[in-house]
Amino acid sequence: MIESFRVRTVIVVLSVVFGALYLLPNFVDLPKGWWFHNQPIHYGLDIQGGAHLVYGVDVKSVIEEKVGRTARSLQGEFQEKNIPVDSVKASDDQKNIVLHFPASSKSKVETQISDYHGTQLQAVEETDTSMTLQFLNSYLDDLQEQIVRQAIEVIRNRVDEFGVSEPVIAAQGNSQVLVQLPGVSDPAEAKALIDKTAHLDFRIVSTEMAPADVQKLIDQAEKDGNYKLGKGEENGLPYGDYIKRLNKDLKGKIPDDTTVAFEKAPNALTLEAGKIPHLLTKDTDLTGDQLEDAYVGYEPDTGKPMVIFAFDPEGRRRFSQITGANVNRQMAIVLDEVVQSAPNINSKIDSATAQITLGSGRNHDEVMKEAQFIATTLRAGALPAALTQQEERNVGPTLGADSIQKGKVAGLVGLIAVAAFMIFWYRISGVVATGALLLNVFFLLAALSALGATLTLPGIAGIVLTMGMAVDANVIIYERIKEEMRKGSSWTGALKDGYSNAFSAILDSNVTTAMSGVVLFYFGTGPVRGFGVTLVAGIVTSMFTALFVTRYIYDFMILKMNTKSVSI
Amino acid sequence: MAVQDFGRIDFMKVSKLNAILSLVLTVLSFTVIYTKGFDYGVDFAGGIEVQVQFASPVSASQVRDFTTSIGYPDASVQAFGEDNEYLIRVGMEKGKDAEEANRLLNETVGKMRAGFKENFKDLQPNIRRVDTVGPQVGKELRNNGLLAGFYALLMILIYIGLRFDYEFAPGAVFCLFHDCVIVLGIYALCGLEVNTQTLAAILTLIGYSINDTIIIYDRVRENMPIYRSQNLWWVANRSINDTLSRTILTSGTTFITVFVMYFLAGGVIADFALTMMIGIVLGTYSSIYVAVPLVVLFENFHKKKVA
Repeated sequence: MIESFRVRTVIVVLSVVFGALYLLPNFVDLPKGWWFHNQPIHYGLDIQGGAHLVYGVDVKSVIEEKVGRTARSLQGEFQEKNIPVDSVKASDDQKNIVLHFPASSKSKVETQISDYHGTQLQAVEETDTSMTLQFLNSYLDDLQEQIVRQAIEVIRNRVDEFGVSEPVIAAQGNSQVLVQLPGVSDPAEAKALIDKTAHLDFRIVSTEMAPADVQKLIDQAEKDGNYKLGKGEENGLPYGDYIKRLNKDLKGKIPDDTTVAFEKAPNALTLEAGKIPHLLTKDTDLTGDQLEDAYVGYEPDTGKPMVIFAFDPEGRRRFSQITGANVNRQMAIVLDEVVQSAPNINSKIDSATAQITLGSGRNHDEVMKEAQFIATTLRAGALPAALTQQEERNVGPTLGADSIQKGKVAGLVGLIAVAAFMIFWYRISGVVATGALLLNVFFLLAALSALGATLTLPGIAGIVLTMGMAVDANVIIYERIKEEMRKGSSWTGALKDGYSNAFSAILDSNVTTAMSGVVLFYFGTGPVRGFGVTLVAGIVTSMFTALFVTRYIYDFMILKMNTKSVSI
Repeated sequence: MAVQDFGRIDFMKVSKLNAILSLVLTVLSFTVIYTKGFDYGVDFAGGIEVQVQFASPVSASQVRDFTTSIGYPDASVQAFGEDNEYLIRVGMEKGKDAEEANRLLNETVGKMRAGFKENFKDLQPNIRRVDTVGPQVGKELRNNGLLAGFYALLMILIYIGLRFDYEFAPGAVFCLFHDCVIVLGIYALCGLEVNTQTLAAILTLIGYSINDTIIIYDRVRENMPIYRSQNLWWVANRSINDTLSRTILTSGTTFITVFVMYFLAGGVIADFALTMMIGIVLGTYSSIYVAVPLVVLFENFHKKKVA
């Protein structure tokens, strides 16, 4: 008994120490390189205030557009290969591509499609002189995912401009994008920014000035005009306004027909944190509209990822002119006025597809990531997906502050009421249960901190509710002990039997409640998920405190304080 | 053996009366839900909810005049706590396609924000919360809600199936069903708003209120071999009495916390707490008066069939 008591002492002490360590960041500002957990509990938007927006991505229209473009590029291919066809058209519902050809071309058409489009298209209907093609399901799934990713990239680009700290931009379901902007209480501006259609430009980087000189001019202009990039800061301007103002101020100082635009530095989280200026020549007349497609391919020799993209005939003509005139200069890919990448033009490009190869000397994953990013950006400009706002939730800062204040008061009053009741009913044993309850709240908060969980208003309800449920275990044990004592057991015997007999009932009750909590976590949205988390975490911690810790306290009293019995 | 006492209270004596009461309440709840329907919040029905606070008191009719003036005479205006804070709900316009509905909702939010700032300039309107739910998201939330309810029930049913034999399982299941239906019936009858918090509370109740039933059933099984000479009716009574204090005390402590939340926490937590309060009371009642008598009923039925 004493052996196990020692082990249990170690367990209780260790868990308290770890709990305290996990809770520490919530109360103290820890130094940067703190060796242990350094994340305070994160509050949900319903508490800290902010905007929660859900956008529907119009995947369907993009796919329809894609069908039309594929039909056009097929037509081009047949022409190039001298395969006579009568017509290549998208069907009326924009779902299929319908080919009509002389019977003599049939085998050539079939070979062309299976050789070059085998992973993309399949024939669903065939006669000697016609064929109906459809996108493969796997291809459509990929396409859908790509379209949503593009939309995310476009939105991220614009939200960066908005200068919100810790925005969340993520896919939700199949065709939705979730945007969370903490601290933004009237998102009208943000919404206007997000609703715009993406605009992609190709512009040549001017070499007339050294980058360092451009940077100097920018610094000077910022100083003279007393403004800087960064919304919400003192004298800060959002990116759109900033770039307009800056270019107005730089007029005459930089060569005519050039403007300045910025690229996000590779390791910076936002444009404000690190921006690289580029001096760009004015329009090249080549925009995303003329881009047909872009995707990641691999260099034949080295297998290194690269970006492949294709223009429509008009775009292709323009592109070959521009690249011909600007060999060995950089071409900037500019999405919504932000430079995304500026690859070097190695030679005049006059082929059906163009390639962007990426710098060497980095590992495969990094190159792959960059290639995907550039391809996504290009596609975002080529096939912009319309966004519709489907959900908007706003919480102002005062409401959030009010709510958490009320939640804290309710939690405290609830705790006192439960403790008072337990002490009134069970005397010293009630005090033991109250001690365990306090420890439970402590462990629960530590667990939330350790899990990096987000605390929402329903989450607070979960914590308060757990306090009422945690003592249920004590009640079940105590009632059992009382019963055993009525039957004539000694205090220590009743204590032992009480704990062991009550265990299965306590486990049962916690398992069923935890099941509901898990279901709520999986199917709940936003704040309700937070409730699921606190409920389940609270059940786990309360099992520990109500069973293990209270038993430990009783044994401590018996072994160390020679207590003969405890009022119950 | 001397006549044994089964405890202080003869619960089973009134079991017939309670059976009728529960049955009537369940049927009534169904009828009310069917005829009256629920008052769904914006989460499920779609639409807009705006919570606005003024620096000094404003009458509800002033706010209603305002919503009418900007083109929403059907908006519901509800005081929220003090008389300087209001909840305004605007439903979705019917017969519009999703795209159009989203656009209209967006427009309405814009009008509300601008309108409040303009019309109540002197009262410093503070728009504290705006919820806009379009048709797609509303549908998604409804579907997720139904799925959540389905899976929670399924998991509990599997659990009950593993935990109890055929004599006990139906009673526990009916008990849950009875609690859920009556809670929802009360919501329909009183026109209380059904939203995601209500759903969360009901799912929590499903998990929580089964506990009392489990404790009593365990005791019935434990007592059956001990009191072999007694019939099930007596054993049931004895078991309820044995476990009565813990049944009431465990529900009581949890009730204390939700009671406190209802009065002090406000907002969405109060919604949640109200559902829990009703549910805990019902759950305790049904564990004693519905779950146990049903076991006796099934047992008697079974015996008759065998005989």
